[in-house]
Amino acid sequence: MTAESKLAPIRKGLLEFLVLKIVGVKSVYVPDILRQLAGTEFTTQEGTLYPLLSKLRREDLVQYEWKESDAGPPRKYYRLTDTGRAQLAALDEYWTLINRTIANFGH
Amino acid sequence: MQRLATTVRLNRSVLQFDDAANARLEQYLAESASLLEADPDPQEILADLEQAVADQCTRRLRPEQTVVTLAELEPALEEIGSVQTPGTGPASSGQPRAAAPRVLQQVSEGAVISGVCTGLGRYFGFNVTALRVFAVLLLLLSGGGVILVYFTLMLLMPFAPLAADGQPLGWLPGKCRAFMEYLRAKFHLAAG
Repeated sequence: MTAESKLAPIRKGLLEFLVLKIVGVKSVYVPDILRQLAGTEFTTQEGTLYPLLSKLRREDLVQYEWKESDAGPPRKYYRLTDTGRAQLAALDEYWTLINRTIANFGH
Repeated sequence: MQRLATTVRLNRSVLQFDDAANARLEQYLAESASLLEADPDPQEILADLEQAVADQCTRRLRPEQTVVTLAELEPALEEIGSVQTPGTGPASSGQPRAAAPRVLQQVSEGAVISGVCTGLGRYFGFNVTALRVFAVLLLLLSGGGVILVYFTLMLLMPFAPLAADGQPLGWLPGKCRAFMEYLRAKFHLAAG
């Protein structure tokens, strides 16, 4: 197994965490999220993001509201729910913890 | 020669597609639907994807251009990418998922009668409109025998879960669904 094939599932798992972080800053619509992720290791596409957001909404972590746009049809703006905010805080904390643990080994 | 375009409603947008682009679009949406078969909310995601396609194509149209061709659609689909369902656990993450098992279900949303044709179309990857026309032809040719077949399928095919965003069902699909559920409950018929 190459390193890349081991990294892919890690990225995939972390994408949800990252999306929660982005949505947690301010309410955004999908092109905003794509733009923020573009050029990072987590560059992704609408085909991936919509199913993920649908799952997060089902888990009551995010919710959306329709907002009119200057051009075209109304857009879905996503934001965190209280449950989402709590879960994001827990993930953030755990992530810091893991990073510390990993950094402490192998010396 | 005049090339006729198809008017397509994509979620909240209406666009014109030429034949090739229309066929490609239908293929993409059918593929997405089959990839989302295991998802609890396929309708919502499909509506989002339709809107994404509409937005991406609109963005790519030249100022005077009104009909979407493959030249706009292909790069649009490329950018949207195929449907990736979020991994539910370590076992499924990362690995390319085997195609989700196809299930034969009646689809109440957008149904004319009960959604049998929509369901069959999705399952076998046929164009639903073509299938409906074929069913009507068969109805005329068979002298009504198709009605029995339709009713049997209505009774036996399970109903796909309703869309989460609660788009209202048509009157007839709603009645059919309710009636079949009533019949199944009464005769303890477990569909599926």
